[in-house]
Amino acid sequence: MEIQVHELVGAVHDAAWQPWAVQYFFLIAISVTALLMALPAFVFGKTTDLRAARLALMVAVTTGITAPIALLADLHQPFRFWEFFVYTHKSSWMAWGAWIVPSYVGLLLLFAWSIHRPEFHRMGQDDWRFAWLFRLFSLGGASNGFTRPLGMLAGIAALGILTYTGSEVMVVRARPLWNTPFLPLQFAATGFVGALGVMLVLERSLCRDGTLEATLNHRLALALAVVGGLGIAWFAVALSGISPVHSEALASVAGFPVWKEIALWGAASVAIPFVLALALPRNTGLITGLIAIHAAWMFRWTVFMGGQAVPKVGSGLYDALMPTGITGLMGVIGTFGLWVFLMIVYTTFVPWTDATPPAHSQPHPAPARS
Amino acid sequence: MDTTRRGFLGAIGQVTIGAAASVAGAGQSASAAEGEHVPHWGMVVDLRKCIGCQACTVACIMENAVPEDAFRTHVSVYELVKDGKDPAMVMLPRLCNHCDDPPCLPVCPVEATFKAENGEVLVDASKCVGCAYCVQACPYDARFINHETQVADKCTFCFHRTQAGLLPACVETCVGGARNFGDLNDPESEVSKMLRDNEVSVLRPEMHTNPNVYYIGLDDVLDGRVAGEAAYHPEMAASVQHHGEGL
Repeated sequence: MEIQVHELVGAVHDAAWQPWAVQYFFLIAISVTALLMALPAFVFGKTTDLRAARLALMVAVTTGITAPIALLADLHQPFRFWEFFVYTHKSSWMAWGAWIVPSYVGLLLLFAWSIHRPEFHRMGQDDWRFAWLFRLFSLGGASNGFTRPLGMLAGIAALGILTYTGSEVMVVRARPLWNTPFLPLQFAATGFVGALGVMLVLERSLCRDGTLEATLNHRLALALAVVGGLGIAWFAVALSGISPVHSEALASVAGFPVWKEIALWGAASVAIPFVLALALPRNTGLITGLIAIHAAWMFRWTVFMGGQAVPKVGSGLYDALMPTGITGLMGVIGTFGLWVFLMIVYTTFVPWTDATPPAHSQPHPAPARS
Repeated sequence: MDTTRRGFLGAIGQVTIGAAASVAGAGQSASAAEGEHVPHWGMVVDLRKCIGCQACTVACIMENAVPEDAFRTHVSVYELVKDGKDPAMVMLPRLCNHCDDPPCLPVCPVEATFKAENGEVLVDASKCVGCAYCVQACPYDARFINHETQVADKCTFCFHRTQAGLLPACVETCVGGARNFGDLNDPESEVSKMLRDNEVSVLRPEMHTNPNVYYIGLDDVLDGRVAGEAAYHPEMAASVQHHGEGL
């Protein structure tokens, strides 16, 4: 029987998770993946990777501070945040996240501090205007033997973040686009893409080292290959029908031209930097980095705002995909602005170019500055 | 329990007296409470009687001070054309289904959403942090963030009214008697009889939420996400303003 349905009267639902939520998931994924890329050098002593690790640590710290602020901004009752810790509901991934996020940020900051502590101490001994500040930062000492355990704990917390952020969204059965086992993997893979993108842009801005640029571009190509592979697998599983949830996810958006444009745009955002990074690993870092950042951000925007644009019971699409108005825009601009501010503070006050692993984890001494 | 006002009032009176007695004597005898009848509220919507007048929508808004940009209940209206025949108008009242397995409940990070004794799914507004996770988890688009209170909001089956022995406002005002409310635990209630005597459906059965809102005469094409042309076209919003009457 052929049935045509025209909705004559229907309610429209606003997106309940605003652009701040997109910013949170974007920034926290970048932070944790950047930290994971910093660990080999700073925890396991792989000093050949030290220059990339310094960038990674800087990215992890600055985005790691910005992300929870974006999350708090998305809460409609931000002053009730303490209730997360008083009334923890064990069946809710968000409740677990409320414990994991501060643990991660705290361990990340302690880890970064311990790496820089010897340099803070040295700068505190010099005779200059801000010496008092660095004496304060170093807490009167230079030892940092606890860096490795702190790094390992921060790494475990980072894995916890990847697990909880992916699961929190994946378990929402009411939104087919979110309810796929691929989603946590896609969040993680695009997180690496975003982190490498930021590192490439920073490398072009702060270091301008062709060798480092090529290294980061090769890693970006690898991460993009994983993202592309996951995307192809997602479509293959959805089209094959072997996984009903994937088929439902595809069916929920397949009929809309705007989603076909999004899919093509997303594919281009992965393919173009992939080809550039492989074919021209030098002197393309700025463009591959920016496109990679765009790809990681766009993936989350599409998942969150696009996912909320798909009605659960009504017809057509809501307008959440492209919300108008200054509120949503301010969420995006505000969090990026905060990150830029933190970058300025970090590069001004933290001797990041001198960051080295603790002495006992340095099998191969490397030059301090790149 | 009866869906009519008289029957409902009589039954709720018995329950209220019983509840008050059990609270007063709670310390004396736990076994006395065990035999007490606890109603399980449910709604049966007879779509054959719904005329899409939206009186229920308006009554709910007035009763519960629902803000302008949201609904706790409304009536979706569809035009169905089957095999090119004459179009049929179909009404579909929508509200929280007060599921027995509500997906909104386990996701709430602070346990603000809870299942009340009589089956209502409620939100403790003093506890809700406004994270909107429950809004995402509800498969019926029945929850929203109230922009005046900044907490999750939804149909309560008019908890404040049923506690006072009244019917929910939408049921009270339903012109055609399409909305029927009562005790699903009482085999003699009107809603229980309707469930026995009619073929009923629920929305989104594939979600296995065990809803307590049932429909008589629900077309299969409308029980989930309705794949059809939408009434709302966001791109039209700006142009409507531009094509006003030029005041």
